[in-house]
Amino acid sequence: MVNPRDRGGIAAALVFGAGVLLTMGNAPAWCVALGLACSAWRALIASGRLARAKPRTGLRFVLGAVTALLVLAVAASFRTLNGLAAGTALLIVMGALKMIEARSRRDDAIVVAVGLFMVLAAALGGQALWRAPLYLLVICGACVAFALIAHPGNALSTRAALRLSARALAMSIPLALACFLFFPRVSGQFWTLYRGEAASTGLSDQMSPGSISKLATEYDPAFRARFESEPPRRAALYWRGPVLNTFDGFTWRRVGSQVYAAAPLTMLGEPVRYRITLEPTNQRWMFALDTVEAKPRRDVFMSHDRQLSVMDPITSVVSYDAVSYLETRSAGVLTTLGRRYETRLPEDRNPRTLALARAMRARAGSDAEYVRNVLDWFRSNGLEYTLEPGTTSVDSVDTTLFDTKRGFCGHFASAFATMMRAAGVPARVVTGYLGGEWNPAGGYYIVRQTEAHAWTEVWLDGQGWTRVDPTAVVAPERLQRGVYDMLASSLPATSTYLHNNRWLNRISLLWDGVNQWWQERVVDFNLGAQLDLLQRLGIDAPRWEHLGWAFALGMVAWITWVALTLRRSVARVKPDRIGRAWLRATRKLSRVAPPRAASEGPLDYAQRVAMARPDLAAPVSALAARYARLRFGPAANAAEVSSLERDVRRLAV
Amino acid sequence: MRLRRRVAAWARRRQGEDRLPFGVSSRRVYILPTRGGVAFAALLLVMLLAGLNYSNSMAMLITFLLAGFGLIAMHLCHRNLVGTVVRGIGTVDAFAGEHARLFVTLENSADSTRIGLECSTDDSDVVLIDVRPDASARADIPIALPRRGRFPLERIRLATAFPFGLFRAWTWVHVPLSVIAWPIPRGRREPPPENASGGNAPSVLRGGDEEWSSLRAFRDGDSPRQVAWPVYARGRGLMIKTYESPVAHHRMFDFARLPGSDVEQRLEQMSAWIVAAHARGERYGIRLDGRELPPDSGHEHRARCLNGLALHGSGEPW
Repeated sequence: MVNPRDRGGIAAALVFGAGVLLTMGNAPAWCVALGLACSAWRALIASGRLARAKPRTGLRFVLGAVTALLVLAVAASFRTLNGLAAGTALLIVMGALKMIEARSRRDDAIVVAVGLFMVLAAALGGQALWRAPLYLLVICGACVAFALIAHPGNALSTRAALRLSARALAMSIPLALACFLFFPRVSGQFWTLYRGEAASTGLSDQMSPGSISKLATEYDPAFRARFESEPPRRAALYWRGPVLNTFDGFTWRRVGSQVYAAAPLTMLGEPVRYRITLEPTNQRWMFALDTVEAKPRRDVFMSHDRQLSVMDPITSVVSYDAVSYLETRSAGVLTTLGRRYETRLPEDRNPRTLALARAMRARAGSDAEYVRNVLDWFRSNGLEYTLEPGTTSVDSVDTTLFDTKRGFCGHFASAFATMMRAAGVPARVVTGYLGGEWNPAGGYYIVRQTEAHAWTEVWLDGQGWTRVDPTAVVAPERLQRGVYDMLASSLPATSTYLHNNRWLNRISLLWDGVNQWWQERVVDFNLGAQLDLLQRLGIDAPRWEHLGWAFALGMVAWITWVALTLRRSVARVKPDRIGRAWLRATRKLSRVAPPRAASEGPLDYAQRVAMARPDLAAPVSALAARYARLRFGPAANAAEVSSLERDVRRLAV
Repeated sequence: MRLRRRVAAWARRRQGEDRLPFGVSSRRVYILPTRGGVAFAALLLVMLLAGLNYSNSMAMLITFLLAGFGLIAMHLCHRNLVGTVVRGIGTVDAFAGEHARLFVTLENSADSTRIGLECSTDDSDVVLIDVRPDASARADIPIALPRRGRFPLERIRLATAFPFGLFRAWTWVHVPLSVIAWPIPRGRREPPPENASGGNAPSVLRGGDEEWSSLRAFRDGDSPRQVAWPVYARGRGLMIKTYESPVAHHRMFDFARLPGSDVEQRLEQMSAWIVAAHARGERYGIRLDGRELPPDSGHEHRARCLNGLALHGSGEPW
């Protein structure tokens, strides 16, 4: 009943299985398992190793019921069918069931199409460079499957199908590039896709003692930053993240976003322009170099403390351009509300710190002098910078300053801000990253979780909010070096090895550079980048229509190229050796008889020649008969052809 | 269906009649996406929308790559047909209820095999053949013959969905061509009684050395005693004397003298006689529609007689 080796069916099953593997990150495990099992089953049946179940009407009903059940299961496990994960799961379920009942070539083609759809789903889930060859592989497999499905006989070998597919795909690469560059993109979404929930990573909107040091043991990149011109020195790379304004004695939190009006700000020095590519954090924060000039995008909020955030948690890589100033000044005053807000402190916590702070403030002449004195106190009091500060009590600042005297940046920032607030100086804790690893392969900074940092900002009249980093006085080398170089012994061995081995590090930086290029040039390519490209190609004030023209031009050029390339290999019809020999013979004979008519067969022609020259009758008819036999009979061997050629040469007219 | 017929008629007017052999030029090759191809295009459209919607570059690259692939597939499909040489077309007639056969010989002078060429007529099944480079192949297309008569084959369709089944290119070949369905041989197999069928008496025996009826050229194995030596003496080469077989009968099957009023039944009876007489190697002739085919034997004669029966009543000369 079934072709023992149905190559189209096998190929379709393999393509589907590969598609399922690609979506592994998006779809639930049970769907992946179901998809793989069904595709293996189908491949076994198609290769004749497993008998196919006889078609029964009962089976159809069972399949229908199973389909309904599985769709319900998907809907139940996601509580929606509109979402990348739910949609992918649905695709897998449908494709798997289609394979169970696959009988015809059409069914196989549908399975391949579902496989292609899963490549799309996988692409929507992840666009990393390393996935691109996998996608290409599955696509090529799908093309081969289409060919094998269309030609179930043996005339088209699997190898030939592979060659055809690879060639067709290779030839379409130029078109894909041209379309990619010039196909007019639209910005904005027609519909949105629910992406599901994932664990958040990176800095959050609260900081307890130890939360930063825990983060600093992770080696994953938080974001990458490419500067338009010379990057600022490393010690000035304070990447501002969540600003924390409320302290309960143990944990700093961010409460409220637009509590009071900010004082007007004057930017000083040269603007620094850069582009940040932020890894997904599943949180709402965006990072920017110290004082950002304005919100980088329309959909980004900037609060009174110049904290950038977006509406929805960041679940995929985002890029944005920002302009920052390293120095600012604010001649205005902090409103009463603002002053009260930024000096709130639980009075019943950290009593020793509060007492010390108030005593020191009483001795100092001004807020600025007080800040200097406290920093001196931090410097001279034997505080130790460490990733493992030990346990703390509820009065965490007291513990840090007076008992253990050990702390990480978070501890010191918390302690310093507490001392400021206790003395009535407005202060807040800023969390973010300090520094970054320069990637010479790509010319940008990689900022890893390792560089997570916390510092403070203090309001000084006449100067405005001023950055004060107590860690810089406790451990001044932190400004120049990363945590990985300073506290390697407390970090996970694998990531320190990766960081310290010169070759591994170079390779990983190179790979990171290539990926960053991919991210910036390919993944982030949009309408703006398209217009930039047109401008570089010499079009002033490029518009959407120009893109259309460029697109059409590329299309026409490509189609012409394809038509010419593929036409040549058809039109190149040369007579073979047999044909050439016969042509030579007829040319010789045209001297003795009227030339051979186009429709005249070899034997008729020989007869005509024999009539004109009876003496040539024997050799010419023998020649014609042999030509006819070689031409129209069973396949000729080379010796016969050579002998024909020899006799044509010897033919004397 | 009506649209298809009108398009075919338009192509017939446009192309005119074909004279064999000819190469299939691109001017006469038509191409359209198959159902699978349309579905593929729809898939691409969805992919493009998804890519645009999420500004997903990877999805767009994939879409554009597949779009290019589709266009290449179109070219590959087209060129699989263009350049094919239609070398010869032949038919073999058959009895009604059986299948006549249409042979189409295709030649391939390109450097790669032409895979999956579909040959068919308007009503026949599709026959798939592959033509290797610098070779020819013959498609043997069965043509169903529902009833007696002549069935014109208006056009032969050569098509291909190579290589990916996304497009189908086709061309129509218009050659004046028809197949004839002979009446089904049905009825008594034994020849009609002489008087009833109008068959003549057995022919006069002719024999004797000097009474040869015709001469033919000498072939290896002929007995020297049969050579017409006087003819040879006249310098006309070695000729062999042939004689009528002493037992040979010849019969005339006369339609008009067959009993019964059912024309088809009478034709079928004549067909049965012809088949039986041919099988026995007898000489026979028919008388039908006021025409007469004198007694003879051989395949050609049998076909002429059966054609006469098949075309009876059609007004067509035979």
